[in-house]
Formats: sequence, structure tokens, C-alpha cells
Amino acid sequence: MAGKSGRSINNVPENPVKKMIFSWEGILVLLLIAINIFCSIFSEFYNLSSLLRQMPVYLAEVFLMLGMAFILVMGEIDISVGSIVCLSATLACLVSNAGVPFPAVFLIALLVGTCCGIVNALILTNFQELPPMIVTLSTQIIFRGIAEIVLGSGGSVSVTNTDGFRAIAGKVGQVPYILFLVLILAVIFAVILGKSTFGRSVYAIGTNRLTAYYSGINVQRVRFIIYTVMGTLCGLCAMFLISNSYGANTTTGENFEMDAIAMAVFGGIMSTGGKGNIAGGVISAIIIVCLRVGLGQRNVNAQVILLIIGLLLICTVGLPNLIKNARQSLKKS
Amino acid sequence: MEKKSLWKRITGSREALLALILILLFIIVTGFNSSFLTPSSLQQLIKNNAVTMVMALGMLCVMLVGGIDISIMSTLALSGMAIGMLLKYDYISGTIVPFIIAIAIGIVCGFLVGLVISRADVPPIIATMGFMYIYRAMGYLISNGGEWASASALGSFSDFATTKFLGLNCVIWIVIVCYVFFYWFMKWTRTGRKIYAVGSNPEAADVSGINVKNIKLLVFTIMGLLSGLGGALQVGIYASAMPNMQKGGEMDVIAACVIGGVSMSGGRGTVIGALLGSLILATIVKALPLVGIGSLAQNTFKGVLILVVVVVNIILQRISDRNALKGREM
Repeated sequence: MAGKSGRSINNVPENPVKKMIFSWEGILVLLLIAINIFCSIFSEFYNLSSLLRQMPVYLAEVFLMLGMAFILVMGEIDISVGSIVCLSATLACLVSNAGVPFPAVFLIALLVGTCCGIVNALILTNFQELPPMIVTLSTQIIFRGIAEIVLGSGGSVSVTNTDGFRAIAGKVGQVPYILFLVLILAVIFAVILGKSTFGRSVYAIGTNRLTAYYSGINVQRVRFIIYTVMGTLCGLCAMFLISNSYGANTTTGENFEMDAIAMAVFGGIMSTGGKGNIAGGVISAIIIVCLRVGLGQRNVNAQVILLIIGLLLICTVGLPNLIKNARQSLKKS
Repeated sequence: MEKKSLWKRITGSREALLALILILLFIIVTGFNSSFLTPSSLQQLIKNNAVTMVMALGMLCVMLVGGIDISIMSTLALSGMAIGMLLKYDYISGTIVPFIIAIAIGIVCGFLVGLVISRADVPPIIATMGFMYIYRAMGYLISNGGEWASASALGSFSDFATTKFLGLNCVIWIVIVCYVFFYWFMKWTRTGRKIYAVGSNPEAADVSGINVKNIKLLVFTIMGLLSGLGGALQVGIYASAMPNMQKGGEMDVIAACVIGGVSMSGGRGTVIGALLGSLILATIVKALPLVGIGSLAQNTFKGVLILVVVVVNIILQRISDRNALKGREM
């Protein structure tokens, strides 16, 4: 019943505890606990310190999820991220080997990522009729292709001066720096997406692009910024990847786009746009990281983990729709 | 009825334009390498690209309804690996039985993808991205973790790729049969026209009594079927089965369709376009080493090619829209 203030019935206060548990984030938290219990039964080595020790490898992908969340909320998709990671990791390794000091290497990696993001953004904003999927599909081949050309026939490079990379892989006590960085960035991105004008315009674009355009949002500018930031995050991810493997090859960053999309979608960010928040994405990212660490400790094949993530992706998108459809047909009959 | 000039008719029809480009490419490549335009060399070209050419037909159907399928090469690997392992451990032999098994696996895979997309409303890119990893992982698992079936293990299965029938390689016959069938299917059957209808306007198609969901399911099943066939062809032509075969090959198939004028938003595209698109792509890839572009740069070139083609398409579309508007203004 709409009151005088014009507020709809949805705003009637509910029991806050009940609301929290039944929201998607609540379910995710429960799932996170369940996964952790499962992993500690599955692998006898699974505990907090081993989790913190093995986490950094997988945490680098969470950066990508943060950018992907914005793109998905806007109702679009970017599948070139894995290749951008590959290209900026490759170039970072090469300039580092050429004797460039570490801070400059770091900046170059970010810059390469940003440039790749700008390439995507320029094409997408100048030719807005093009579906983002086909554009990022072709830039996916191009960026990895450039890395292949740069790497030559050997197909891999390893850094000779590892000091700087060792430094960013450091820890405070047992907690690695990257975890702090992920959490800080997550908070910043969550505030931007959830509270700022910019973030709300992203939701507006994702819900109805035309309405957003007519209500004065500069849609193409927002898209440009988001795709560029996505590139920068890829550069960041590349640096932390090198700090784990001390090198790059032509397969660096392969499948990362799926991981990032899976994390975001599993966290309740709808791929059709306009729904979801960073908090859900971060919780689901931690779930996937825990799962990978737990399964990895018992030497479960990497392909099996991909299979599980693939299934997770399809089920989280498909099941709610199936239930909704079933309910509707029940109502009709 | 006004008569169009020959030039207008050629530039107006996409297929004629593509054919012109293909002929130009042939002439250029022959200039570099005079042995290119011989029957045996052309046969080799088609045989080496048979998998892409056959699967471009399925991708045409998928893209006509506005979808995309990037799981195809994983389906290919799964079906190809399945028959490879069955042949290796002597469960089956011959040529026909492996083909039927591969196609059956492909149909099941495609049907599952179609079910998820049509019944659970998952966007095609997300669903097929998931299945890309699922099927690839399954292909890897049935290979006992990376084993591969070599030519000797396959026995007489791969003989069909080297035998000739009526002067043409059997692989080429399969390609021809597929293209003739699909030309007929897309143009003169009700189901074929329904696919076009769903692609150009799903709501209108739904209102006029077409079961849009079933058409989508059908389209992805066709794609699966052709991926299964592609799996058998791949194993036959290269006389080996590996779990990572054709990884990234879906880009070639999509590129062939995009070059052939199949629209990404659905409703536009023809079988002839897919044929010409895949032939143009095959010729270009073959010509690259001749003009000094090494194999390392091939992927980059393919990506740039797709990008240029879609961008040029958009620009042409804008120009024709503007001209149409001018025509209306009087």
C-alpha cells in the first residue's frame, strides 16, 4: 500500500536479522562457512595459516572481479581481461629485465593495462552499436597475439631481478599485502558503486540505457571510464601474478575472464545488468579462493576445478531463472 | 521497377562483394606463389579448413538467432577424444561407428547448452563460457589426464581422410554435402525460415506462433551436432586425438561468419556468406607467410581482421542509414 509519502510497500521495515539471512549475501556467508568446513575435512593441511600462505596466487584475480562487477552491472561483458593481464605481465617482465627500477616497472604494467583498456573503450564508445562481446573477443586475440609476438618463439620470460616482486609479495605477520590491497580496493569500489553519483549512473545504464541517456547521464563517458579502469586493474593483477611466478608466458592469464565473471555472477551480480553489489562479489570471490586452495592441497586436477567453476557459473545464473519460470507456470495453471 | 546497374548490383549484394574479394585474393596469392591456384592445392586448402567450414554453418544458425557459442571447440575436443580413446582401446573400429558416436556426443552436448540457454534464460555468452570449460575438462578427464591417441592407435579410422571418391577427397565431399544441405535447409524449409524470423524479431516471431524457445534449443543442438562431426573430422584429418585440440579455434569460426556478413545481433546472414567468409579467412591465413607475416603474428592478424570487418560493417550501415534518410526527405 503506497502511503502519502509515495513510498511503496517494499519499504515496510522487516525483521533485519531475517532480511540479512535471506538475502543473497547471507546465503553466500553460510556457503563460505560450509565450504571451509568441507575443505578442512577434505584436506588435513587446510587451516588459516596455510590458507593465508597459498591465497595470494588466487587473490590476484579478485582485482579483475572488481572491474568486471562494474561492467556486468552496466549489462556488458569484457572477455579480453585475461589477455591484457598476459600482455602487461610480459612487458613488465621485459622492462624489468632491461634494468628499469621496480617502481617504474610497476607503473609501466599499470600503464600497459590502462592503454589496452583505452583501446577497448575507444572502439566501444566510438562504435556503440557493436556488441562488447565481439569487440573484446577480437581484442582478446590481439592482446595475447602481441604478447606472443613480443615473447618470440620461446614463449616465456622470467624476471632476473626479483627483489621488487619479492617486496610486494611480502606479509604483515601472516597476512600478505595483497589481501589488504584487495580489501581496501573492494571497499573503495563498493563505495563508488553503491554510494556515489557515478556508481548510481552505472546502475541506471544497466537497467535502461536509453532512459539513462535521456535523463542526462553521459553514457559513453561512463563506459569509457569503466573499460579503462578495468585495464588498469588487469595491470595490477599482472604485477601480483609475477610476484608469485617470477615470470610470464603466452598462457599467463588464460581463463581469468571466466574466473572474474564467475566470481561476480556467483556473488549475485546479474549479467543482464542493473543488479548486484561488490559485497556479494567479494564474498563469492573468497569462497572460490578457499575452494581452490582446499582442492589444490589434495592435488585435484586443475581441469576439475575449472569444471566446478563452470558448473557454478551456469547454475547460479540458470537456477533462479528456472525457479522463477516454474513459479510463473504454476500460477498460470 | 527500376533497373539497377551491374556495379550497384555487385556492391549492393554482400555475397557478390565477398566473391569479388575472394577472387582478388586468389589472384594476389597466385602472384606470390604460382602453385596456389591448382586443383590439388585448393583441395588441400579446403581439407585443412574443413572443420572450420563445417562448424561455420552451425555458428551461422546460432548467430542468426542473436546468440553466440564459444563452447564449440570444447565439444569438438570431447567428442573427438571420446572416439579417439574408444578406438585406442579397441572398443570400436571402422569409420562409420566412430562418426555416429562423435555426432551423438555432439548432439547431447549441444542439447544441454540449448536447454540451459532456452529454458533457464542464461545469456548465451555466459552459458557457453561455462560449458567451454566443462566440456574441455571432461575431454581431459576421459583422456586419463592428457593421454593422446596417435595415428597407429586410431587404426583404419583416419583412412577416409586420404581416400578419394569420384576424384575428390572424402573430407571435401562431407563439406559439400553439409553446405548443400544447409543451403536447402535455411532457404526452403519452414524451420530454416523460422530461425531467420526468430533472429530478426523474437517478439514478432513469438506472437506469430513460432516457439522461440524450441528454435533456440534446435539451433544450439545443430551447433552441437556439427561440433561432433567436426570432432570426427579433426581426428581423421590430423590422425590424432588430443584433449587440447583446436583450443581457441572458435575464434576462427566466429571470424569466418563475421567476415561472411553474419550479423552479431541476429537475423542477417546466409549460407553462401558463411562459405565465402570461411574461404576468405582460409586464403588469408595461407597467404600470410607468403607476404612475410610469420606464424607468431597470425593470431594478432586474425583479431585485427575481425575487428576491422565489424567496424567497417558498422560504418557501411551508418552510411546506408543516412542515405535512406536522405531518400525519405525528398
